[in-house]
Amino acid sequence: MLKVLIPTIMLFPTIWLTSPKWLWTTTTAHSLLIASISLTWLKWTSETGWTSSNMYLAKGPLLTPLLVLTCWLLPLMILASQNHINPEPISRERLYITLLALLQTFLIMAFGATEIIMFYIMFEATLIPTLIIITRWGNQTERLNAGTYFLFYTLAGSLPLLVALLLLQQSTGTLSMLVLQYSQPLQLNSWGHMFWWAGCLIAFLVKMPLYGVHLWLPKAHVEAPVAGSMVLAAVLLKLGGYGMMRMMVMLDPLSKELAYPFIILALWGIIMTGSICLRQTDLKSLIAYSSVSHMGLVAGGILIQTPWGFSGAIILMIAHGLVSSALFCLANTAYERTHSRTMILARGLQVIFPLTAVWWFIANLANLALPPLPNLMGELMIITTLFNWSPWTILLTGLGTLITAGYSLYMFLMSQRGPTPNHIMGLQPFHTREHLLMTLHLIPVILLVTKPELMWGWCY
Amino acid sequence: MANYKEAPLATQPKTLDPAEYFNLSPDYRRAEEKRAALRAQLKRQYLEQLNNPHRKALIEDPALTRWTYARTNNNYFRPTAKTSLIGGLFGVLPLFVLYVVFKTDRVS
Repeated sequence: MLKVLIPTIMLFPTIWLTSPKWLWTTTTAHSLLIASISLTWLKWTSETGWTSSNMYLAKGPLLTPLLVLTCWLLPLMILASQNHINPEPISRERLYITLLALLQTFLIMAFGATEIIMFYIMFEATLIPTLIIITRWGNQTERLNAGTYFLFYTLAGSLPLLVALLLLQQSTGTLSMLVLQYSQPLQLNSWGHMFWWAGCLIAFLVKMPLYGVHLWLPKAHVEAPVAGSMVLAAVLLKLGGYGMMRMMVMLDPLSKELAYPFIILALWGIIMTGSICLRQTDLKSLIAYSSVSHMGLVAGGILIQTPWGFSGAIILMIAHGLVSSALFCLANTAYERTHSRTMILARGLQVIFPLTAVWWFIANLANLALPPLPNLMGELMIITTLFNWSPWTILLTGLGTLITAGYSLYMFLMSQRGPTPNHIMGLQPFHTREHLLMTLHLIPVILLVTKPELMWGWCY
Repeated sequence: MANYKEAPLATQPKTLDPAEYFNLSPDYRRAEEKRAALRAQLKRQYLEQLNNPHRKALIEDPALTRWTYARTNNNYFRPTAKTSLIGGLFGVLPLFVLYVVFKTDRVS
């Protein structure tokens, strides 16, 4: 763990001390080095749930894929931001990359934390660099509104979590996850305990997001610059999922009764947000709502608490992280050329950008969960476990899959096919950097088809 | 007014057809000619921008800007009886219906 954390902290001197000519090269190379070191984590030899060299930071089959995803994403974010940050003064460029690296550090510590309080502190700490990125470097005036919604929704959800954690510390004496997984099931039988249960989970449900409290997500995703959107979609949503998976261990047996409303919200949310996607005019907004839809499926899978549900949830989280980030990068390429996110403006791009049309195609096919990509495998496992939970869910999840296919194809056909408008013929050709960005997003998704054991979690 | 000829960029609108001349009032004909002149000017402006070889930027269409603003900012929503009914029917009622469905299915 330290072999990645210390290079990430040393990224800060790298950013501030390199000469301006070499800033992007060195930071991208440094973060790629960190990403390749993190890939060595994927080989774990012990059969236990956790591998740790110290008491505070650990890795295990549940969180290693998420950690690797986080480390993989930093060079991609730096690559993606290169174009729109370049005109700014050099110290602001350094500040931007510093914020990304700070986010990375907090995320590594959050995912690797063994104490729940450390996880909570890092969970809150990731809000600050993201807020600064959204409100300072976003492009429209609505970014202030978006930052406010983002900050206050997540904070309002996580203050009950703090109270709940302190209560847990009082009653069990420890908050280390290594110890808590062996503790006796708690006696949860009063109204106060129900509030405690809700308090534990609301923070993560807001972050996931669950359908009723998802309003911050489209705003934050649309207004954020591309690196902000990427990290939000790929990793920050998964913080919520990961936190839920960890907390559910301790929350039985009350979860059998109390999870109903949230499972229902998640399932109905898949259909509602999927339908909203079909009526969007803004490309980034469509991708943001599709994120809500997929994460609704993940939330349903986690709340069911079966091994297949957990495995499906992790697989879908990893696959969705990569694919959603790829889609945001593609949307950003269109935005940088036309300075507009309207879908009907940048149409018929296949004629002028044929290779990019291939990336659009693969990313959209992955989004609609085409076999054998891991998106489908995760979705199938979650759908199966939901069917086991109650056969009526197949109506909702089946309809959700259909709508997902509908809006993914709609996105593809709207942006690639059709007549190219006459007045946007003078667009810049695609840079090698952008093609590299897309390959680095999509090749892991395709490679994960061959070895899904990396993502399965501890329940295979 | 009767000798309104076709301009290079604006075809003759039907209402200015000399065969229709005596069906229409003079005010109407004057208004139609002004509108046709405006259309011709707008089209000329668009074609100048479109065919400018040094143009690098997008041609801005104010109608598109207005349309996207109207679609994305929900300032036009008012909670009336009809919208509340639709919202309740699709947003609140399914949650309770699904709760009942799942509960009875799992308990039985």
